[in-house]
Amino acid sequence: MKNFQQNLQKLEAADTQVLGVSMDSPFANKAFADQIGVTFPLLSDWGGEVTHQYGIYTDKYKAARRVNFLIGKDGTILEEQVDKEAIDPTKIVAACERHKINR
Amino acid sequence: MSGSIRKSVLAGLLTAALGAGCLSAMAQEKTAAPAPPQLKVGDAAPEFKLQYFDGNDLKDVHLSDYKGKKNVVLAFYIFAFTGG
Repeated sequence: MKNFQQNLQKLEAADTQVLGVSMDSPFANKAFADQIGVTFPLLSDWGGEVTHQYGIYTDKYKAARRVNFLIGKDGTILEEQVDKEAIDPTKIVAACERHKINR
Repeated sequence: MSGSIRKSVLAGLLTAALGAGCLSAMAQEKTAAPAPPQLKVGDAAPEFKLQYFDGNDLKDVHLSDYKGKKNVVLAFYIFAFTGG
């Protein structure tokens, strides 16, 4: 999440809202956000309904996999990164900037 | 005498075979890449309503809040208070 925070200005400049999601409680996520200095919302998928809906629940963690989805203004998925790939936001930032230019 | 040697050789072979089986199963578990998510680039992102705590209140966030306005990065992470 810190990596997205570091790129937040670029993402916001490219009309992009960053939302973290985990199966932690909203209060745990707020404490986590404060601890690591994240200013965008960390959403709580308590119970995992959305994690299941997005098909990324994993038995290994009893939680979500690490996945980034870039969703366009029309609601379609533009980019997707999974597991280790999802740690580095460079590709997402590049994609946002590219989509902004194309529009 | 020869019978017991044969037995112990057989037992040794069996153990080796079992061991090799376990090792190959472990190796497979390690190398097998997890399946990619079912949602693919180009699919419609499922609508959701989730909440976050802003320090005072629980706030609702819908994916549709951003439709036609902003791109959305949905960054799923495993647990709070872990790295990355």
